[in-house]
Amino acid sequence: MLVVDRDRPVGDPDGESGLPCATRSVSAEDGPAAAAPVLRDGSGTATSRDTRPWEPLAGAALLERLRVTGRPRPTADPELANRLQWGIEQGLAADGGRLDRPGGGPVPRLVVTKDRLTGALACEAHHVSTEFGDRAPTAAMACGALVDALFRQFVTVGSLGDPFTDGLAALAVDDHQRCLVSWIETMPVAERQALRAEVERQAAGLARRWPRLEPTWLPRTQVAMRARLAGGAVELSARADLAVGRPTEHEASVAIVEVKSGVRRSAHRSDVHFYALVETLRHRVPPFVVATYYTRTGELDVDPVSEELLVAAARRTGAGVGALWDLAHGSEPRRMPGGLCGTCVALPECGPSGPFVRPPAGGRERGADR
Amino acid sequence: MTSAADTRTRALTAPAVTCVTDDDRARIREELVSALAPIVERLPRGEQMVVTLPLLRRAQSDPGSLVVPEEPFAWKPAFVRRSLGLAVVDACATGRFRAPSEAIGPVVAAAVAEWERSGWRTFHWEPWFAGLPGGARAVVEANAVTWATALWSSFDWQSFDRVPRIGGADDQWACPAGRTLRLKGRTELRVPVAAEGEPPDSPASAPEAIVSVSGGGPGAGWADELAYLALVSALRSPSRPVPARVMGLWPDAGTHRTVEIDRQTLGDAAKRVEASVAGLVDSRRSSTPAS
Repeated sequence: MLVVDRDRPVGDPDGESGLPCATRSVSAEDGPAAAAPVLRDGSGTATSRDTRPWEPLAGAALLERLRVTGRPRPTADPELANRLQWGIEQGLAADGGRLDRPGGGPVPRLVVTKDRLTGALACEAHHVSTEFGDRAPTAAMACGALVDALFRQFVTVGSLGDPFTDGLAALAVDDHQRCLVSWIETMPVAERQALRAEVERQAAGLARRWPRLEPTWLPRTQVAMRARLAGGAVELSARADLAVGRPTEHEASVAIVEVKSGVRRSAHRSDVHFYALVETLRHRVPPFVVATYYTRTGELDVDPVSEELLVAAARRTGAGVGALWDLAHGSEPRRMPGGLCGTCVALPECGPSGPFVRPPAGGRERGADR
Repeated sequence: MTSAADTRTRALTAPAVTCVTDDDRARIREELVSALAPIVERLPRGEQMVVTLPLLRRAQSDPGSLVVPEEPFAWKPAFVRRSLGLAVVDACATGRFRAPSEAIGPVVAAAVAEWERSGWRTFHWEPWFAGLPGGARAVVEANAVTWATALWSSFDWQSFDRVPRIGGADDQWACPAGRTLRLKGRTELRVPVAAEGEPPDSPASAPEAIVSVSGGGPGAGWADELAYLALVSALRSPSRPVPARVMGLWPDAGTHRTVEIDRQTLGDAAKRVEASVAGLVDSRRSSTPAS
């Protein structure tokens, strides 16, 4: 008898996600990384590999993968939402009583997004040095913005025209994308053609695979989600590419999908877990599933939402909120060696071989638990 | 299965528990006019002032932003989403469509076709929308669907005895003071409710519950801000019943708040208007070069 090896971490070759295997299913829809699961016979001896080419899910199968997680949908547990909130707020109240402001004046609200959270947890110094000012546009950034717009169009209208033209037209009516649009319009011809080709390729895959969503499931795009904590001193803010399902009071009924045009990264899972947390805090009922859909490959990462997932997300968020709070109130940003160092152009004097790779002598590296 | 929408609908349509008498209304009006008259006298000559709910909020949360000159108006998707979203909700509430994403295409097509046929602009944005390329139109439609879905999923529409009034003209009241001051109130829904001590559907006195949708989350002054909408409605027409309650929806924050309207809440809202207008007048004076 052949069984799939469920101990093998799938779709996460770096092993960075830290997610327990129990929250993940091994199946072809996990993507190319899981395309050839190790097969074992009854004795546990590896025998062969499935050599069938991996095919991304499409249509009804993709929809089924989103809807049927293999786990019962979580029921509403207001106590859980309260505990998650309390856990994050405790982190602020402890550690020197961050919320007690000298002079007792009103505390300016700290807005925490997924990007700020990830940035501060990866390296505070890098985050501070890159947070402000316009980021220089890149082809990847342009592709992401265009594909996001096309996904939105496809979900809302059900069709795409010329993808590049449609995408650019969509960005042109968004004030925030003005800089990116003019950058795309002035790209060298060859690079612009390459961008167009990639956008068209991803759009074709999207149109071929993405399922039609029944209107009564209330599909909505670019859904803003906010949850205020600590009496309004902190606001968790997220914007989901797609939410489906009518919120109910007793059982999780909403699915949240994030769309990515680039390569699969473990940080994307942390992002959608953050969305699950914000949704739970704002509605007091969790979503039943959060997923990331990769338009480049058709991969779909699906995480059924569980108490464990939410607790881990709250713990991570609490750590990030604490760091961001300290930075906002004048703390010296900590330099935290990690995967960013090799590509960090913001702090050239601080590379992986620099003095900050090693923890300071005689003490715990600040932020090591973050 | 009970949904959050059921609970919210019951809270919105419950019989009124408070009442504002005509005498109370007249007294509040007199007090407000007396308080505002000397304030607006300080306005630079020829200036007008229009108070809206967003302005009232900014006057408290970010008074510095009031002196920033406004950009010239240009249509953008954010300016269309409410009016188009309300038309979409109306189309669903009257049973023409099952949900916003089903209604959006036909509703927007009908609006543009009507403008092309008659030249009449029901929403004002029709010519702008008609001139947009497909990708930009999709953004406008997607924004409206998301906005409409938030409102549509907030209530159990089958529980309403009759279809609520959706959108409609803003309430306006012009203060009879030396300079022109207008209060404007914009509401998304109006639902009749049974008056205090009256049987349901009593035609003599059928106050309304009104609903207001906002972005973000409720601020510290949310009760006064919601009551402001009832105040403008009450001032606008002495013959119409004062709204019995105002429910604010903040879909981003997944929350709602309700304020029952009585003499006290209307009076508090009037005080908030006085303070905000005073702040606005000071801002205008400080930003106007001395002649």
